[in-house]
Amino acid sequence: MSLLTMIAKMSEGFGRTCAIFFLTLIFSLPLGMIVALLRMSKNKVVSAVTRFFISVLRGTPLMLQLLAVTYGPYYLFGISVSRNKLIPVVVAFSINYAAYFAEIYRGGIESISPGQYEAAKVLGYTKVQTFMRIILPQVVKRIMPSVTNEVVTLVKDTSIAFTVSYQEMFTIGKQIANSQTSFVPFVVAGVFYFVFNAIVDFVMGRIEKKLDYYK
Amino acid sequence: MKKTLALILAAIMVFSLAACGGQKAAADEAAAEAVVEAVAEEAYEEGAADAAEAVEEAADAKFIMGIDPEYPPFSYLGDDGDYTGFDVEVCKAACEKLGWEFEVFGVNWDEKLVQLDSNECDCVWSGMTLLDSMAEAGYVLSAPYYDNTQVVLVKKDSGITSSEDLAGMAVAVQLGTSGEALLNGDLADLTATFGDLVTCDSFLKCFTELDGNAVDAVFVDAPVAKAYVEGKEDQYVIIDEGLGAEQYGIAFRADDQELCDAIEGAVAELVADGTYAKIADKYPDIKNNLLFLQ
Repeated sequence: MSLLTMIAKMSEGFGRTCAIFFLTLIFSLPLGMIVALLRMSKNKVVSAVTRFFISVLRGTPLMLQLLAVTYGPYYLFGISVSRNKLIPVVVAFSINYAAYFAEIYRGGIESISPGQYEAAKVLGYTKVQTFMRIILPQVVKRIMPSVTNEVVTLVKDTSIAFTVSYQEMFTIGKQIANSQTSFVPFVVAGVFYFVFNAIVDFVMGRIEKKLDYYK
Repeated sequence: MKKTLALILAAIMVFSLAACGGQKAAADEAAAEAVVEAVAEEAYEEGAADAAEAVEEAADAKFIMGIDPEYPPFSYLGDDGDYTGFDVEVCKAACEKLGWEFEVFGVNWDEKLVQLDSNECDCVWSGMTLLDSMAEAGYVLSAPYYDNTQVVLVKKDSGITSSEDLAGMAVAVQLGTSGEALLNGDLADLTATFGDLVTCDSFLKCFTELDGNAVDAVFVDAPVAKAYVEGKEDQYVIIDEGLGAEQYGIAFRADDQELCDAIEGAVAELVADGTYAKIADKYPDIKNNLLFLQ
């Protein structure tokens, strides 16, 4: 198999890798905010339950969660395993990443001094207005580096989808490596991930710069 | 107060590191002396001790068998938590014959040859199909001991009776198995008729996909299918069309011809004294396909 065919084959899988990546971000970024707000809820029960879920999601491997989401419903309730593996993969990834994002958001929100809330109150802002117009813009700026960190990790974590036989780029790379008794596909995969992450780095850097309007 | 404590701790750390460095330097010096002044009595004695150790090591040589820990009945985790299976038992008996210490190492099947090359195990012996590509890559291969074919495992109520019925169906296969190689190689025409080919990383996943209706059939080695269906004959059907007949053997590193000869010799002895047949009796599913017993 020539290097070009190899790259062509792996590019096919790369589309699926991108699907996991973008869908996970689309779902987990907002979901993380909801989880963060629940986690900071004044209601002790809500806060404690959310905290427990976050600790489970962060304390067990993503691979295990992926297996649980994919095969769990079948073993527990006899529900058929999904034929389109993208669904369980995106569900598992989104839930897992939402837990990490939630903690990043929480850190950001709690870093804003209470004086700002008081000032907003004096100026007649409602609670929602205070959060949306004053707190959130500052939080977004502060958490960008941590979010970039997670996003970069997500690019590499997509290879875990192999566990449930989702044919993403690394799975195909493994198949080629196996049939050709060759290490080249792994090198190709490494280059793919690196280039993808370089682009992610660049884009996130631009966003960070754009948000830097106070300085 | 805190600052003083931190300073003291830092100082202790620096000194302990320095102490390590000192000891290491001393050790290096000692080693160098030992080499250069080999005549010196002390060093001489040390060397002799080393040599004695080396001889001892050779005497109780350790043979590390590389297996796929999820490949019953050839190699799998037994009920008692130890690896067992036909191949494991034969290898163990062979090592006993040779007086070698025996150890099992579970390889990652799709990287088995890399792990063999990196000395993580001394052979790959686990229902492994002998491929031309292995011989071409320089690996020392044993004579085949088992004839295998690929079968299609389906649910009884699926209505699938031949490989032609698989047109448009989803089929699962394990990555790194000969079934996968076959479907992407010689049987590519058949694969083209499938609705979808799902590659799993273990047989358990393949079978779970089948049970969970995510796929309609599993393309699998005959003995593995037989072992899985045992006791569940009312649920599954095995379609055997003699697809991709192949042979199992053992792979050794390129420079290990002697090791291969030793193992083959020991196995031949086991066949001659009946131990081999006795082990085979425990695995009725595969017994008929064993070449040494035919």
